Amino acid sequence: MITPADRFLLAAAGLLLLLLYALFWQGSGRASRVEIVPGDGSPPLHLSLYHDRTVEVSGPLGESILEIRDGRARFVDSPCPGKLCVQAGWLAESGATTACLPNRVILHLNGGEERFDAINF
Amino acid sequence: MKRSLAGIAILAVVAGLLYYAAGRREVELHQREFFVMGTLVSITIADTDRATALRAMEAAEEDFRYMDRTWNPWKPSALRRINQLLASTEWFSVAPSVEPLIRDSMELYERSGGLFNPAVGGLVALWGFNRDEPPTTPPPREAIGDLVARAPSMADIEFDGIRIRSRNAAVQLDFGAFAKGRAVRIVTDLLLEMGIRNAIVNAGGDLRAIGRRGDRPWRIAIRRPSGEGYLAVLETRGDESIFTSGDYERWFEYQGRRYHHILDPRTGYPAEGVSSVTVVHGDAGLADAAATALFVAGPEKWPETARAMGVEQVMVVGSDGTVYMTPAMAERIRFEEEPPRVVIRSP
Amino acid sequence: MPSTSEPAGDLEREDLRIAWLAALAVTIHVAESALPSPLPGVKPGLANVVTIVTLAWFGWHACAWVSGLRVVAGSLLTGTFLSPTFLLAAAGAGAALLVLWPASRLPGRGFSPLGLSLLAAMGHMAGQFLLAWWLLIPHPALLGLLPPLMTAAVIFGIVSGIIALRIVEQGPPATPS
Repeated sequence: MITPADRFLLAAAGLLLLLLYALFWQGSGRASRVEIVPGDGSPPLHLSLYHDRTVEVSGPLGESILEIRDGRARFVDSPCPGKLCVQAGWLAESGATTACLPNRVILHLNGGEERFDAINF
Repeated sequence: MKRSLAGIAILAVVAGLLYYAAGRREVELHQREFFVMGTLVSITIADTDRATALRAMEAAEEDFRYMDRTWNPWKPSALRRINQLLASTEWFSVAPSVEPLIRDSMELYERSGGLFNPAVGGLVALWGFNRDEPPTTPPPREAIGDLVARAPSMADIEFDGIRIRSRNAAVQLDFGAFAKGRAVRIVTDLLLEMGIRNAIVNAGGDLRAIGRRGDRPWRIAIRRPSGEGYLAVLETRGDESIFTSGDYERWFEYQGRRYHHILDPRTGYPAEGVSSVTVVHGDAGLADAAATALFVAGPEKWPETARAMGVEQVMVVGSDGTVYMTPAMAERIRFEEEPPRVVIRSP
Repeated sequence: MPSTSEPAGDLEREDLRIAWLAALAVTIHVAESALPSPLPGVKPGLANVVTIVTLAWFGWHACAWVSGLRVVAGSLLTGTFLSPTFLLAAAGAGAALLVLWPASRLPGRGFSPLGLSLLAAMGHMAGQFLLAWWLLIPHPALLGLLPPLMTAAVIFGIVSGIIALRIVEQGPPATPS
């Protein structure tokens, strides 16, 4: 019952799969999860990067506001004077970390194959 | 016929799964992050049992905290007491916890031609870059001029055994461009002594990496000086420290001008012409000091300073985006996106 | 190949047949939706067997009816009618039918139920993925999911294809009279 067209299709499906892995699997250094460590000593939050939301966590200076959108995360506002955390902008790469030092809040991306083990700056 | 077909199908699927599995081989990592020395320190350990890793990370954090307490000139500390006594220009006994830092800084001061100068703590305080919140206005021009005219330098310091004095009352030590590197070196040495062979000690983006991550080297991304994302990637070899000084780390704007925290001891003002300097070297402390000295040297003179300080792997990003590199750096660095202009210069 | 243009008297019989097959497909559909899924979007898709067998015995029209009824009735029963889940299922079923239409009309021997099932499964996944891409999360990270999802589609397409092949080889059921 199996026909030549079937055989051709099976081979094509196998090739397609290999192609898909080659194209989209390697570069999946994008993070899928985010870890937010509040500055008040309360336990870290582990969230998916694919559910858009705004998160408020507290630290010694007050509330830091973080945003998760379209697989990226960033500091929107923080009660620190320098706002370096806000200037850091969006993070999307797995392994990327930024922090609001005065308010002791850490934003860390993980999940997916990490392309880097550390960021030098 | 049917059997050979099923064979092909299974083969295709197995190939796909293998590809998946190969990309996903996980190495067990232990990680710990803490705030110290005004920055976020992160320690990553691979290929070590959990108990040892936890013990090592605990000890590492303790060491960092001790060095922070001892070497912070802006809080009550051994270094602050030393600064008070240096201002008297009298002889006194130096605390053993700070002595090696001073001695090594004196040598690096000489080798850098005075561009690495931890004696200008007064200048840092004048600008206010030592405070938690960034300054909002530059200090008065005359105040900067006065301090630069008094020319505090590491050459003003004299040792006599464990006794020390400064010939210049303006000398105020601030190891902001050295302490982090030295601390990273000491803490990584501690990990090595505890039997850990694969780790990264990352203090606010400046790091030392030893060993590997499983079956591949540690991969370090170097952040783009302006804007988001990464400029380049480096894979570490054996035991290496990667230190970057950038004008984007601490800065403020005043009347449309940008002032950053890397001060030129010769002018008293932020060094110009360079956006960031990355140095790779075996000694984290030297890499830290050299990154600052080369930044101050500027886009033209940095190769001479690099040669004098004995660093071979350097990348300098100029204010205009031009990337300058030594041949040893160019040979191993991989850019995420080719920079507009690359200049290779031998140290 | 049975003809789709049957005598007028058989119309009622064909409706009955479609209803019966659709009921079977809905049962499988609902049963599978109760199974825990390792990855969102990965399901055995055994209802695909019914679709392919219907296609082989009664033609594309009957097959389209069975698929449509399965998606609508199945979502009503699981309480997901007009929800994103329903839209994804509809996009998948629609894409599968779209692929099956030319594939079942090839000259010569064409595809066996195995090939048709594999095509339907891959079409199903592609349709779902495209809808998710355009409508729900147009984000590059989603592309990373495509290889494992398509792998699952190929595996399950072959499995239901083998089952469909076995059933079709036994011949259509005796026509009730």
